[in-house]
Amino acid sequence: MRLLYAYPPAWRARYGSELAVLLEELDGGRRARLDVVRAGLVERLRPLGLGSLSPHARAREGSLLVLYAWTLFVLGGFGIQKASEHWQETTPGGDRAVPAGAFDGLVVIAAIGTALVLLGVALVLPRLRAAIRRDGWEGLVRPLGPAAWLSLLTAAATGGLAAWAHTLAPAARNGHDAFYDGAFVAWVLLFAVTLFSWSAAAASIARRLELSNTLLRIESLVAAAVVASMALMTAATFIWWSSAHGYGFAANVNVIVPVAAMICATILGLIGALRAARAVTLISGGLTS
Amino acid sequence: MPTKTRDNDPTVLILTSLASGPKHGYGLLLDIEEFAGVRLGPGTLYGAIGRLEERGLIEPLSADGRARPYRLTAEGSTALEKTLAELRTIVEEGTARLQVQFS
Repeated sequence: MRLLYAYPPAWRARYGSELAVLLEELDGGRRARLDVVRAGLVERLRPLGLGSLSPHARAREGSLLVLYAWTLFVLGGFGIQKASEHWQETTPGGDRAVPAGAFDGLVVIAAIGTALVLLGVALVLPRLRAAIRRDGWEGLVRPLGPAAWLSLLTAAATGGLAAWAHTLAPAARNGHDAFYDGAFVAWVLLFAVTLFSWSAAAASIARRLELSNTLLRIESLVAAAVVASMALMTAATFIWWSSAHGYGFAANVNVIVPVAAMICATILGLIGALRAARAVTLISGGLTS
Repeated sequence: MPTKTRDNDPTVLILTSLASGPKHGYGLLLDIEEFAGVRLGPGTLYGAIGRLEERGLIEPLSADGRARPYRLTAEGSTALEKTLAELRTIVEEGTARLQVQFS
């Protein structure tokens, strides 16, 4: 039924068939069709915070914003990892204590942050199992399709790029071959799109799950802890960056871009965590909107 | 905390309808029209169903043919009681004031 395309895909997957049955039973006229289109547009605006989002939905969207922020942060983290490969070689032994401490701290907090994100995912797994039992696999698996295809493409591109890199001299691999540099940038973009496609798939599935108020409260706390880990990692990166020789604050694009991504991700995560925290305080079981 | 319930709020109408037992979309529309004299649009109805389900106030049952019935949860029952108590206060206060005004 074409009218249902007014709604976002996740909403259609959950309620589309029921609404289609109702429209058949009503044999609705123009007024009913207009009502469906209006309601569909409202549903499309809700994730942007422009529709009437309930505290429950705001809490969920806030936590999902933290997930997207984490994805951006991971990309920045990969950039820092790549840019920091040779910092010990350029920093005299006596000056390594501060950057080494900051870098080790960064690695430890990254592990904690990753564990927190996995905890957030693990907490909703029972609800996912319940949704699969209720609605079947089909609707839930569909959002994973684009992410799976992009992952295959990224794996193939990674293999191709690695094979090419083996044929090049170290200098060519490090900025002296424009074609290889271009291919590397394209690979980074593809990798970023793939990572975000997995986050989008996870968010799409999460929006279809029935999450209790208690679970949303726990998820908002986990989201806040994830953002705290991002802030700490950003601080650790700054300390390492300012104290490792050869990586000083002077224009070093290989560090500036990842750090900028980490800062943006932390701010985005903070917005999400605050939205989730404010929303869970409003959830009281009443009919407040 | 400010409440934004209204006597014609679709969420209140749906919860009131489900208080007498599970119903699917069409059943809800007919019942609401009968007891409240309000004909909800299909989009309005499912928008409200979605919000109520998100908030855990109603829950779906296994599909009955092609339609899926919904029922009130314990949380939904509490929320409806709370809302009706608020509305009752307004009704009683309004009635009392009108009696004073026109007596």
